[in-house]
Amino acid sequence: MRLTVFNGSPRGRGSNTRAMLEHLLKGFDTVPGNSHEILYLKRVQETERLVQAFAEAESVLLAFPLYTDSMPGLAKAFIEALAPLCGREHNPPLAFMVQCGFPESAHCRYVERYLQKLARRLGSRYVGTIVKGGCEGVRLMPERMNRKLFARLEGIGRTLGQDGRLDPEQLRRLARPERYPAWSMPVFTLLIKTGLLSSYWDRQLKENGVYEQRFAQPYH
Amino acid sequence: MRITILNGNPDAGNQAFDDYLRQLAAALQGQHDVAILDLRELDIHYCTGCFGCWVKRPGQCVVQDESARVCRAAVQSDFLLLASPLIMGFVSALLKKTNDKMLPLIHPYFAVDQGEAHHRARYERYPLLGLLLDKGPDSDDEDVVITTEIYQRTALNMKSRLAWAGLTQEPVQEVAHAIDRL
Repeated sequence: MRLTVFNGSPRGRGSNTRAMLEHLLKGFDTVPGNSHEILYLKRVQETERLVQAFAEAESVLLAFPLYTDSMPGLAKAFIEALAPLCGREHNPPLAFMVQCGFPESAHCRYVERYLQKLARRLGSRYVGTIVKGGCEGVRLMPERMNRKLFARLEGIGRTLGQDGRLDPEQLRRLARPERYPAWSMPVFTLLIKTGLLSSYWDRQLKENGVYEQRFAQPYH
Repeated sequence: MRITILNGNPDAGNQAFDDYLRQLAAALQGQHDVAILDLRELDIHYCTGCFGCWVKRPGQCVVQDESARVCRAAVQSDFLLLASPLIMGFVSALLKKTNDKMLPLIHPYFAVDQGEAHHRARYERYPLLGLLLDKGPDSDDEDVVITTEIYQRTALNMKSRLAWAGLTQEPVQEVAHAIDRL
């Protein structure tokens, strides 16, 4: 099987989406005869070529980070460019991957419904959506911190490569935590108060010399 | 109320949508202070996910485009109406890219809200949100529901709530009354 992958991250090659895809595709490519190609939606000036690649694809994976609760603007622009393909016969089967910076995967479930409908709109077989929260730091973390995540993605990729489907149990395991139980919220609130969860931002604010301006309200 | 309407119609040829918004603004004017921002006329770049608005220039996009006008109008309004035709079952890429560029309005730090992680507010108050969609021939009720539910989430992340949602298939006067009653 040949998989055409569209990376919808505005960060392109430097994205968490790409770091995750790398491991998913490693699993996919373990199946003899499988191959893939990755195209970047941030190259908006090449939309025509991207749509052409979609139209000719054997199967498609569209991956993006969650931007204000759905797809980034440039990924929506690509989806709009696919409109002429609606109602055409033999559109490729469609799989999706959505990742977000929020720690829980639940944030991505609303756009998942949209993607399911999008496949139907295009007359494509809906293969499924890979969802994962807590991904903002993936590209920056040491390899060992991501070991479990990457192993799971590789497993999901292998199943996709072998059977052309996504395994619900593998997806469920990857998505954990789907949401945090109510009892853990006071713990989370406490963690916020300690400033531990802010250190990622504070370090950058300080490096840029704007830590004292972090609560600025320029549009007040 | 101070009301800002974000016109997410990307197609200057779709005059009917623009006309609807003009009529709506006229119906609300008098009682309210209404302004329309035609997004397709503004120079708004795609968000690149650089987080510069959080860590380099807190509260402002590092790319100095006209999204700053949208951010300012949002913070200074009581009601922000997001208006768009449904295209491929969702709001236009034009409106979506504009929403992406409103990230400077919130703060990077986490906060717990409704039992979930969200971001902390940057401002003391935010406008109530509204969503006005044109269903058009290529969309159905399911598209409206999916889009509305996503914008309920967007409102939650903008420290607000989706106070009203409706369709341009409804008469202008009825929509104006509904907004008037908020």
